[in-house]
This record gives sequence, C-alpha cells and structure tokens, in this order.
Amino acid sequence: MEVRQEASMDNLSTVERHPSPSKQPKASPVPVDTNSVTQRLQKELMALMMSGDLGVSAFPKGESIFAWVGTIEGGKGTMYEGLSFKLSLQFPLDYPFKPPQVKFETMCFHPNIDQFGNICLDILQDKWSAAYDCRTILLSIQSLLGEPNIESPLNSAAASLWSNQEDYRRMVHKHYAAGEACER
Amino acid sequence: MTVDALSSVCNLGVLDSLSQSSIYEILEAWNSFCLITETIVEGDDVNLSTFYSKFQSDVSSLCKFGLRSLVEEQFLKCLQDMLEKHSAPKFWKNFDAYNDVPHAEMNDRSMQEDEVELLLCKALEEISREKQYQEKCLLMLVNSLQLCQEDNTSVEGRHLDMEKIFFSKYRLIVSSVLMTAMPRQFTEILHQYFKGRLEELSTIMAGDYEENDESQDNSQPRNMDIDGIYDQKKTLENKLVSNIGMVVHNLRNLGFTSITEDAYASTIFLLLKDKVYDLAGDDYRTSVLESIKGWIQAVPLQFLRALLDYLGDSMSYLSPKSTKSPLASTPSSCFQKSGKPSEGIVRWQLRLEYFAYETLQDLRISKLFEIIVDYPDSAPAIEDLKQCLEYTGQHSKLVGSFISALKYRLLTAGASTNDILHQYVSTIKALRTIDPAGVFLEAVGEPIREYLRGRKDTIKCIVTMLTDGTGGNNNGPGSGDSLLEELNRDEENQESNSLDDDINTDDKQTWIDIQRWEPDPVEADPSKGSRYKRKVDVLGMIVGIIGSKDQLINEYRVMLAEKLLNKTDYDIDTEIRTLELLKIHFGESSMQKCEIMLNDLIDSKRTNTNVKTTINQLSQTGAESREREVSFEVIDATIISSNFWPPIQDEDVKIPEPVDQLLSDYAKRFHEIKTPRKLLWKKNLGTVKLELEFEDKTLQFTVTPVHASIIMQFQEQTSWTTKNLAAAIGVPVDTLQRRINFWISKGIVAESLGADSNDHVYTLVDDMADGGKSVTNNEALVADDDAESSVASVEDQLRKEMAVYEKFITGMLTNIGNMALERIHNSLKIFCSTHPVYDKSIQQLQSFLSGLVAEEKLEFRDGTYYLKK
Repeated sequence: MEVRQEASMDNLSTVERHPSPSKQPKASPVPVDTNSVTQRLQKELMALMMSGDLGVSAFPKGESIFAWVGTIEGGKGTMYEGLSFKLSLQFPLDYPFKPPQVKFETMCFHPNIDQFGNICLDILQDKWSAAYDCRTILLSIQSLLGEPNIESPLNSAAASLWSNQEDYRRMVHKHYAAGEACER
Repeated sequence: MTVDALSSVCNLGVLDSLSQSSIYEILEAWNSFCLITETIVEGDDVNLSTFYSKFQSDVSSLCKFGLRSLVEEQFLKCLQDMLEKHSAPKFWKNFDAYNDVPHAEMNDRSMQEDEVELLLCKALEEISREKQYQEKCLLMLVNSLQLCQEDNTSVEGRHLDMEKIFFSKYRLIVSSVLMTAMPRQFTEILHQYFKGRLEELSTIMAGDYEENDESQDNSQPRNMDIDGIYDQKKTLENKLVSNIGMVVHNLRNLGFTSITEDAYASTIFLLLKDKVYDLAGDDYRTSVLESIKGWIQAVPLQFLRALLDYLGDSMSYLSPKSTKSPLASTPSSCFQKSGKPSEGIVRWQLRLEYFAYETLQDLRISKLFEIIVDYPDSAPAIEDLKQCLEYTGQHSKLVGSFISALKYRLLTAGASTNDILHQYVSTIKALRTIDPAGVFLEAVGEPIREYLRGRKDTIKCIVTMLTDGTGGNNNGPGSGDSLLEELNRDEENQESNSLDDDINTDDKQTWIDIQRWEPDPVEADPSKGSRYKRKVDVLGMIVGIIGSKDQLINEYRVMLAEKLLNKTDYDIDTEIRTLELLKIHFGESSMQKCEIMLNDLIDSKRTNTNVKTTINQLSQTGAESREREVSFEVIDATIISSNFWPPIQDEDVKIPEPVDQLLSDYAKRFHEIKTPRKLLWKKNLGTVKLELEFEDKTLQFTVTPVHASIIMQFQEQTSWTTKNLAAAIGVPVDTLQRRINFWISKGIVAESLGADSNDHVYTLVDDMADGGKSVTNNEALVADDDAESSVASVEDQLRKEMAVYEKFITGMLTNIGNMALERIHNSLKIFCSTHPVYDKSIQQLQSFLSGLVAEEKLEFRDGTYYLKK
C-alpha cells in the first residue's frame, strides 16, 4: 500500500533540473539539538527494523547513528529484480530539517544515478520535507529504480537505452557484475 | 743419564767450590741412590728393609751437598714411571673385556654383574696393594730426609708438613696417571657395580621392611626391631656395606672421589625413582609419601650412613693415619653411633627427599586428571601432592599440565555437561586443598568455565545439581557429592566470616591477622583482587560460569515451579530448605519470587482444606444438595499467584463433565471465601490418579489430566477416530496423537488404520491378553512424557524476549554483512535503547544467535555471523 503511494508521489515530482547532487546541506542557523536528532534517528531505525521485509533496510555503519548503510533490493517486475544494492546514508546534524546525503555504493546502471553513485531525486534535494524519514527515502529510491525519470538523466546512456528493455537489462546486470567484481 | 741430570740441575757456582773427592762422593751416592730407588720401586717388602740403611746414607750424603730437591724429584719420577708403565696399564687392562660393549648392552647384562663386581674388587685390591707399597717406599724416603734434616734444624711440625706435602704430591701423581689412561667404560662399570650392590642391599632391607609391615602393620623404619632374623640380616648387610665401603675407599684413594660419588649418587637416585614409581603407581587411595620417606630412611640413607661412617676415618686422608689398612677400622660399630647425624647425612637426606618429592610430584601431576576424577577417594594423593608442592614450589608445572589434560580429555564434545561440572567441582575442592589461596584454581578453572559457557544446558545442570543433590541423570553414587552440601558448607563459612568481621574491630585480632598475612604466590595475577580469592567458594565459582546470578535464579525458578506443580501433597520442606540456603547466598531480594511461590503452596494447603470443609458443610446443610458423582475429597488444588510464577504453558483441554462441574464449584467457593479473587483453573496441569477397572483386574495410574481425559472417553465408547477424539477432548490432533501413545504403550488402547489415511482408529483393548507389560502392576505408573513440562523453559522465555531483536539483528546483518558476537551485542546496546531496551547479557545473545543458526536463519563462520542466503 504504502509503497504504491510513495511511487505515485515520485512520479508526480518531476526532476526539472539537476542541481549538483553532491551539494552539501548548508549549516543550519538554528541551534542544533543533537540529542533530539539522535532520538529521532533511533526511532526511525526502530520503525525501519520493525516494519518487516519490504526489500529495504538500513543500519548504522559503526557506533555513530549519523552514518548508515542501506540495502535496497530491486523491485519485483523491474529490470533490477534479484539484485541488491548497498547505499550509504549520511545524516546531517540538523536532520530532519536537511535531507540526508544518500549515495549508491554498489555500481548501478540507471538514468538518474551517475557513475559515482549520486542520485538525482527531488525529495533528497529541494523537495525535502521533515515529514520524510529513512524508510520513505529508501522506498522512493527503490521505486525510482523501476520508474526512472528519462527527461533529466544523469546517465544519458542509460536514459537512451531505456527504450530497449532487453539491452537495458543486460547493461544493468553487466554493471552490477562489474561492481561486484570490483568490490572483491 | 744421571750425570746429565746432575749437571743440568746443579748450580754451577756450587760446582766450582766442590773438591774432587766430594764430586766423587756425590756421584757415587747419586748412582747408588738411583739404583736403590729403581730396585725398591720395582721390588717388594723384602728389598725395602735390606736397602734401607744404604738408602738412608745415600740420601743423607746427597742432602749434605744440597741436592735434596734432586733426590725428591728423582724418587717421585721413579714412582710415576713405575705407575705409568706398569701399574696403570695393568689396572685398566682388567676392564678391557668391556671395551667394545656398547652402553645399552652393558645395562642388560645383569648376569655379568657378579663378574664385574669381582673384577672390580680384585683390580682395586691389586692396585691398592701396589699403591700401599709405593707409599711405603715414599715413607722411607721421607724418613731418610727427616733424619738428615734433624741434623740441621729439627722442628717436629715441619716433619709432618713434609710428609703431607709428599703424600699429596704422590696422590696427585697417582690420580692423574690413572685418569689419563682411564677407559671410557669405567664409569659405566662403576654404575653397574653400585646398582648391583644397592639392589642387593635394598632387597635385604626391603624384605625386612615388608616383614615389619606385616608384623607391626606400620611403615616405621625398622631400627627398633631387634630379633634373630634382624641380626642375621644386619650382619649380612654390614658385610655388604663394608664390601662396598672398601671399594669406595679404594677408589677414593686412587683419586676417583668425584666419579665414585657420581656413580653411587646416580644409582641411588635411579633406585629411589623406581621405588617411588613402584609405591605410588596408579593407586590414589593411600598416601605414599610417608612410606617413601620411610624407605629413604631405611635403605639409601642407612647405606649412606654406613658408608660414610665407614669412610669416616679416611675422610681426613691427608693425615698420615690414612695409610693404615682400611680393614683395621671396625665398620660393625657404625650403626650404633647414629645418635647425631653428621652433616653429610643430613645433606644427603635433604637431597634424596627433594628428589623423592619431585619425582612423586611429577608422577602425580601427570595423573592429576585421573586423581581428580575420583576425588573424594583420592584425597590422600592430593594431600601428598600438596606436600610435594610445598617442598618444590613447582605449582606452575601443575597448572600447565593440568590445563592441557583438561583440554584434551574433558572439554570435548563427548563429555556431558554434568560430568564436566562434576569434574569442575572436584577440581575446585581438590585444588582448594593444595592451594587455599585459589590462585592456581583461578588459572585452571578458566578454561573449564570458558568451555561451559558455550554449552546450552550448563545452567540447567547447575540448578539440578543445586537442588537435587544428584546431577541430573544420576550416573553412579559418586556424583552424590552435591552442590547442596556445598550450600550448607558455605552457610557455615559465611557465619564464621561474619563472626570474623565482628572481631576484626578488635585491635588484637587485627594484629594477629596482620601477622598471619602471606604474600600471594608469584604466579598470582595482580589484576584479580587478592581480597576476594581468600575465600574459595564453590558456589561462587559455579555462578561465575554463568556470569550473572539472575540467570541462575531464573532457571531455578522454572525448575522450582515445575517441581511444585507436580506435587500432590504440599510437602515442600526440602524446597524451603534449599531456598533458605540460596537466599543466604544470593540475597533475600533476588529470591523473592521463589519465596512467594513456596508461600503459594503453603497457602494452597490451607485454602484447600478451608474450601473443602465449607463446601461439604454447605452441601450437607443445604436443601438443594445435589447428588454428586465425585466428592470434593478427591480434589486438591494448588493455588498460585501467576504474576510471580514463570509463564505457564496453556493448553486447552476438555475435562470430563463431572470433574469440570466440581472444579467450577470449587472455584465458586474460593471466590466466596476470598472475595475479590477468582480462581482460574489451568486444566491441563496437575496430576490425576486413576484406576482402570477391567473384567478381571484393576490398574492404577498417575497421569496428566489430558491422559485422564483421553482414557475417560473410552468409558462410554470403546472406539474413536482421531479427529473425533481430538474434538471431544478439545486438543489438536497432533497433541492427541502424542498423548495417546502413553495408553498405547501400556497396551490399553490399540491403534489401527481407519478409512481415511489421516484418521486413525483407537480401540480399547478389552482382554489385555498380552498383559506382560502392565498386568499385575498395581503400583502407580507415572506418565511423564519427556520434553513435556508445564512451565515454559528459560530458553523459551529467552527466545520470546529475544524475538524482538531478531529483526534488528537481521537488519544489521543485511547491511553490514558479517558481524562478530561482540559487535552485535554492542550495536544492540547502542541502538536498541528506546522501546524494547536491550538488557541481555552477551551469553544470552550468543545462545539466541546459536538458536538462529540452528534454525538456519543465520550462518556462523570464522567467528562472525552471516545472514543465511
């Protein structure tokens, strides 16, 4: 249910331009209450853990609760089915007033993801709202995989190949395999 | 040659002043001296006396001319030549026969021992004789020299000095000549000789010794025993000792002192070692230290004492008396003057005892595992070992060896947890004897504890040991040494401890305590406080395995609940006792729940009587007293306050109508008496005593309510299908199938295939022809399905509590990949701090994770956990 909702919301929010994806969130003028941020993140983590298997999950990388590792599995019926992608999530100190920095760690062949793993997704930039949380971010990215925005591609080769589903699938798997090989 | 020697030695200035006649005189005297010297050295006693006066005059005339040193040198050289050319080769030639024999073979040839002995004696005597003769010659020279010296200056003391100097020179010559020519096998021969002699002596002594043992039934050295046989033996022994003494004496005179001592010392040690092995062997039930000491006193020391006494005279062989014949001394008197042992003997005794201690200690340490296995019986061996270690101080040897034995033999998958625990307890007790401070125990116990932590059933076993007195499955009466006793003991300990604390305020006591202070052994780990380890408490160490007492108490609670629920007579005396002991140990507050459980039982008894009597009164007085099928007399209720009991397994079961009616009446009455409270029956728990009446016999059983309900159904209808029966009783089909197996195994119900393959038919067996299993069996049979407990086990509880974290753990592993136990634990602690706060110990987490591994949800490789793909 929720997945669908997120997906439709994604589709509506078209990406008109792509501001530099690696843009740092500006330091907030508001004094930051780290304790409340930690609490919120902890709550999000708990919710994410308890939400059950949705093909997305994340967990703090080390002892800090601000740096997470995420895992997204390719949605059923998409080109990415059966593949699982690792992401890194870096939460700013003034979260949730600023979006977290999300990047693909696994090589992902996709029109809106560049070779460095940067993601072009509006809710991670100008459309960010404090109402979003880690779970919705991950679900949005998951649905983005199946429904790319061809109009404003980061990876134009992928965008142009999108029409040819068969070749596109081959490229996805090829990149994925290359990424796996690289990791090893 | 002689002239050459003269000219080369003499002072030329002196020569100038000499007149022709004097030169002549000198030459003549010199030639004559040389001649006589050669003759007497080669000759014998007869020559000695005939040449004496001439020799003397020659010597004095040579001395007159200041050629004294020349005379001395020439004479000694002559003796040396003689030794080198004649005596030494002759002596060594005796042993030529053994030249080619390799060492190993040498040892085997015991038949040749006598031969060796004879040969050695003979050769020694021979060479001693020659030596004596040469000494006599030397004495002659010394006398002559003294004579001519008397003319000039006569001081008595100097004569002795001169003699001493000469004899030590001579001795040096003898020993160096012999040593240089000594064949390799000579030491071997000596060994052989002493071995043979000592063994002979030992058998003489040992025979005596054993006889003593038999007649007096003690192991005292037999010095005080005086009778005919003893005297006989003593003379035999004396003869032997004097024989050996002579050999030793001769050898010493020849300058073989150190070789000889080495030889008999090593022989004695070998013998002692054999004796220790022989005595100690594999028997741990008796203390052998005393008898070893006794043997040391009886055999080697006696021998040494005799030997040293015998040699006593020649000990100061630098004195001129040493030349007198060894046979002149009276060895028979030696034994009697053992009033105050000489320094040498004391030293020997210390050496021998140390060696014995060390040997025994090594032997015991290598077998320590076995010794501890039959600990209470092997206490004497432990006591021995303790004494040995006190003497040698080689505790670290014990630790190392014992740990490796433990790892190899005990801490393996094959050993049952119970056995390991028992061994652990025995180890604690045994090592407590050896080392009250508990330092080595700490080191030895660590591997066991480490291993036990990895076992799932450790806690259960410990609790069973604590409460039952026997460890779970009782394997032999040996396991009866329960922890319960230990609880008792601890109680006493603690009382005395608290007493101590009170007195400690007293200055005097404090002073005494301070004086009693001993430093920790060197091996002590300073990081572990020395304060606590003063008291080695078994229970504390057992609890230490688990890490926290809460877990132990929890497990105890479950076990207690199980026990209490199965009681039918409210008799909880032993439980109360155990609980009181545990309270002392773990504190009142932590045992509170258990106490409430016990109180429930006590209250139950009261309430039960109350309810029953009032109901009966009511039914008697009440007008509408119904005709009851079953009276209240048959029912006893256990009323529990479920908040304080561990979760109880709930299972729906329909019990027969009349009983059900009875129970609800009971509950009603209970509600009337204790108004706000209500009684909720756990109908699946408890026990039912029932009697089955057949045509020809009756059978009694004690079963669970479910079993009773099942068999009740057959009262009206002798054949049921599985589904119908399950519906009638109100339990799932699979439960029914499990439960009914009891009746099938008793031969009361038969199972057959029905129309539907899933639906079996159960029929009551009427005739019970094959009654072999249960006919005439009137005693109550307890139906106790294994793994069927009324209380949720601790593992189940833990699993339920941990299930919340399972998703967390899965999420963790999905993202991070693989994680070690520690990291999972820490992550849970850090990130699981809000809603269900993570408060489990790392051991609990580990057992939960291994549960997940067993369910194939996780994988455990190289110390880290993975998500199973």
